Amino acid sequence: MSRDTTNSTGALIAQLVDGLEPVRPLRFSSGMGFALAGLGVTLATVALMFGVRPDVLAGRFDPVFLLATGLFLLLGLASAVTVIVMSRPRVGSDHGGWVWAAATTALLPAAAAIIGLGRGKDAISATSVEHGLDCLTMGSGLALMTFAVLVWWLRRGAPTSPERAGLLTGVAAGSFGIFAFSFHCIYSDIVHIGLWHSAVVVVSAAIGQIVVPPIIRW
Amino acid sequence: MKADEPSLARLMAMAQAGDKLAYATLLGECQRWLRSFFGRRVAPGQLDDLVQETLLALHQKLATWDSARAFLPWLAAIARYRWVDHLRRVYRADETELADEMAGADEEPAIAARISLERLFALLPDAQVRAIELVKIEGLSVSEASRACGQSESLIKVNIHRGLKKLTAMIEKA
Repeated sequence: MSRDTTNSTGALIAQLVDGLEPVRPLRFSSGMGFALAGLGVTLATVALMFGVRPDVLAGRFDPVFLLATGLFLLLGLASAVTVIVMSRPRVGSDHGGWVWAAATTALLPAAAAIIGLGRGKDAISATSVEHGLDCLTMGSGLALMTFAVLVWWLRRGAPTSPERAGLLTGVAAGSFGIFAFSFHCIYSDIVHIGLWHSAVVVVSAAIGQIVVPPIIRW
Repeated sequence: MKADEPSLARLMAMAQAGDKLAYATLLGECQRWLRSFFGRRVAPGQLDDLVQETLLALHQKLATWDSARAFLPWLAAIARYRWVDHLRRVYRADETELADEMAGADEEPAIAARISLERLFALLPDAQVRAIELVKIEGLSVSEASRACGQSESLIKVNIHRGLKKLTAMIEKA
């Protein structure tokens, strides 16, 4: 090690020490708190701006609605947890648990495809496409809240895999967005949910993987 | 003092609380540890830059260490991230004497195998490791690397691209 090298690194260390301020460590619980608060705001937005579907308000729950919203909620939670964990780097972390939640949720489009094929042309009418696009648009819009919260958290953290973090940010945001909008959408049809509601997650994930990495690189 | 895991973790906790003396000691120990950690996996002429970049990253990301967890796996994740980023950026065709310089520095890094850079490289196919070593670490041009290892120039580029992509994905996992 040359003297110049020692001097320049020593000078850097002296500067860093001089600039040290006490820091509050990033807590997992804080990250999840912000993510859940974002979900709460998203749900409140749906309730206040669009209204909650009548059967849910009356305490009657359609089984397909329950299963689908439950799956999207779980996928959103699993992805959000992974994103929060990824903000604190550590050799030995896997970050792979969300895949199982994603695989389970993928049963929705798979079921939609099977049922849709059985219905033939009736499965996709102009009206159903119109409703589907509404859900896709609104669900994606509602994803923005969670998206912003997780990106902000990742920027505070140190994700070592920005592409994966971006993808999961999109998955979490899309899942929470369509989970919230499901409380307004009156359709409990598996083809509608499997096709259009799942599309929100796919679109959001694609946007996350493209848009987020440059923002969170460090 | 001996830079063992408990001592480093204790210093880090004190640094997070704003203790400058502890922080100065910690950064000094980290500097020594990082020099050993990067070892042969970076050109000697670029080692100092990489160590300094990593110390700066450590400083900027001080809040991301969790005192309930070990310190070195955290530091190693930051070091690996900076190393892969460094490999992406660095291309030094004029490092012609590199091989000779490296031959003299055969000191084994005193770090746990679990968090070493060798462990990351071990996950790549030999052809990708060779392409990255020749072009990104030893500083050969793509055509020189092609002649040195027998891979076509396009294959060298593909192997570097795929290898770095895989390294990025494995920074914490491996």
